[in-house]
Amino acid sequence: MAKLYYTPKEVAEILDISDDAVLDLVNRRTLPALRVSPRITRISIAAFDLWREGYTPRRRRVSIRPAPRKVVGGEHETLPAPRRMVRA
Amino acid sequence: MLASASDLLTYLADLIETLERYAVTLLPPSDADEVGLEQEPDGSLVIDLEGRLPAPRSSKDVDLLLFERWREVDQDAWLCVEYRYELRHHELHYRLALHRHDEAHFVRHFGVATHEHCEVTMGVETCGHYVGEPVIDAFDAFDRLYGAWLSDQKPDCSVLQCLG
Repeated sequence: MAKLYYTPKEVAEILDISDDAVLDLVNRRTLPALRVSPRITRISIAAFDLWREGYTPRRRRVSIRPAPRKVVGGEHETLPAPRRMVRA
Repeated sequence: MLASASDLLTYLADLIETLERYAVTLLPPSDADEVGLEQEPDGSLVIDLEGRLPAPRSSKDVDLLLFERWREVDQDAWLCVEYRYELRHHELHYRLALHRHDEAHFVRHFGVATHEHCEVTMGVETCGHYVGEPVIDAFDAFDRLYGAWLSDQKPDCSVLQCLG
């Protein structure tokens, strides 16, 4: 099985800070983590690596717009392949 | 819980930001700079996001789907009337889904509005619908599905109560 998460203790060792300091980062939502229960916190390794690199997601512009029309096919039904335009 | 259209726009932007902080790769069109809260012909507003969880390079994909439908029940007061949140783990080959849809049907037949799907082997249903604990919002769903993925184990569907 692949290891997908760190415990706060493991993160504390990597960052060379105390366990409490890690939990403080988690509680302030600075460090992305998952609270599995009040006593168990898991920190995704992929999310931790991004955080450590200083990654900040770009804020998206969000607007209301008409939903694109969806073509719904029946079971075992396929859409015809698009015709190739051939220039004479 | 009711929300204004403006609240929903902020909610969607926050949701995308959270997913990316947790290393989820959003798939088009949600990876664009401008993302739509889609309005269907019946006037409802739909959030429909699809992403990939950060699986190790040698692994098959782990898909995350987050879908919500909001209806206007009063002047600029929107209510979430349907949700479908799903995790499809193609490496461990299981599926978890948290659903609320066709509420009248489910209440009439099973006495519950929400249900879950749990397939230890994707595509093989031991039970059609399980009792589902209501999901507060997409953030709650994400926590639950991300937590399931992080455990890197197949789900134990036997702990769920089968509705039929």
